[in-house]
Amino acid sequence: MLKAAHPERPDALTWAFLGLGLLLLPVGLYLALSAPPDVNQGYLARIMYLHVPGAWLGYLAFFVTFLYSLLYLFRQDPRYDRVALASAEIGLVFMGLALVTGMLWARPTWGVYWTWEPRLTTTAILFAVYVGYFLLRGAIEDPELRAKAAAAVGILGFINVPISYMSVKWWRSLHQTQSIDLTTGKIHMDPAMLQALLFNLFVFTLLYLGFVRLRALVAALEAQKEEA
Amino acid sequence: MGRVWLLALRDLRLEVRDRAGVLSALTFLAVMLFIMALALGPEEGTLRRAAPGVLWVALAFLATLLSGRAFALEVEDATLDDLLLTPGGKEWVYFGKLLFQMLLLLPFSALALFLAALLFYLPLEKALPLFLTLALGGLGYASVATFYAGLLARLRGREVLLPLLLFSLVVPVVLAGVRATAGLLEGLPLVEVASWWQLLLVFDVVYLTAGALLFPVVMEG
Repeated sequence: MLKAAHPERPDALTWAFLGLGLLLLPVGLYLALSAPPDVNQGYLARIMYLHVPGAWLGYLAFFVTFLYSLLYLFRQDPRYDRVALASAEIGLVFMGLALVTGMLWARPTWGVYWTWEPRLTTTAILFAVYVGYFLLRGAIEDPELRAKAAAAVGILGFINVPISYMSVKWWRSLHQTQSIDLTTGKIHMDPAMLQALLFNLFVFTLLYLGFVRLRALVAALEAQKEEA
Repeated sequence: MGRVWLLALRDLRLEVRDRAGVLSALTFLAVMLFIMALALGPEEGTLRRAAPGVLWVALAFLATLLSGRAFALEVEDATLDDLLLTPGGKEWVYFGKLLFQMLLLLPFSALALFLAALLFYLPLEKALPLFLTLALGGLGYASVATFYAGLLARLRGREVLLPLLLFSLVVPVVLAGVRATAGLLEGLPLVEVASWWQLLLVFDVVYLTAGALLFPVVMEG
């Protein structure tokens, strides 16, 4: 996910990710809308095809931020910091998407938009941690200190991701447990729905990869301008 | 280890000699608990149910105040760089500041417990496990707070940034702490509370290691 020190424009791989993602997005949408309705929730369950990829990418993006923050602290290469920043920003957007779609889903199924339930609470906290990440970045002017401080938050903040992911199991809450359980590898879902979901996850991941590379490039250009 | 104690005891001595800092923190704790009790009272049941949450919020505020103080004097007197220039690793500065905070936080949380018992009708026969919960939570809280206080020490606007970054990060600790405290007050068997203690302990270890490892890297610049 790294590019030359002084890039000019997005490289072929970035375009490939973005192009393929955008091209397949309508297909994913079609699959989501044509998937069979849920036994209990009917057509309402289709919000899942947006909700689950959003949450998944939030987690993935924060993990990438964690990884590149660690790399930055060890190597002190600003390129790592830019990828961490890009990933955190996109993760925040996708996490926001997961929160909003979750709320829209909660209203008809649980009767309320928001409830203080472990999964929701831990996810909101996660969101707040990464909002703090950007507040901190905004507060520090020295680029090196900014990168270091942000990396520290990126690493410490990641501890909330596994907590958020496992919260539905640890606290047996209102939120349904994972349909695709990454810890045991069990899948509880109709194959047709699963196919549509996996396809959407794939498309969103492609988009994420494209977005991260693009955002890191923009950050690099900004840094170049800051230096000049 | 010697240096850690030396730094902690020096800070503690400065703090006690100054008096204003410790006294204002104490007063803050007392006034806050009093106002909360006033706002929630006078129903005994309500007060008792709110007590764990209030106790932890009060401690969270107190710890934020203390962690700010841990580095405030160093920055005022411009001695932070001297401290960091001493040969060898820099972890000891982190541990020294952390120890200083714990030395203040532990008696304060005991005091908070007594005040809460007085104002919120808390039964004190479980004082020891309650204190253990507060100590475990306090350690988790202080380990992150010290790290951030050091990180932000040289920045403008740190008074606002510190709680902002801190509170979102230590919510797991506060959550586990509140659950453990509430469990104790409801009279759950210790075995059930122990799982929350385990969780608190895990957080303590994780935050402590992460803080100690990251602190030297971040403070270098």
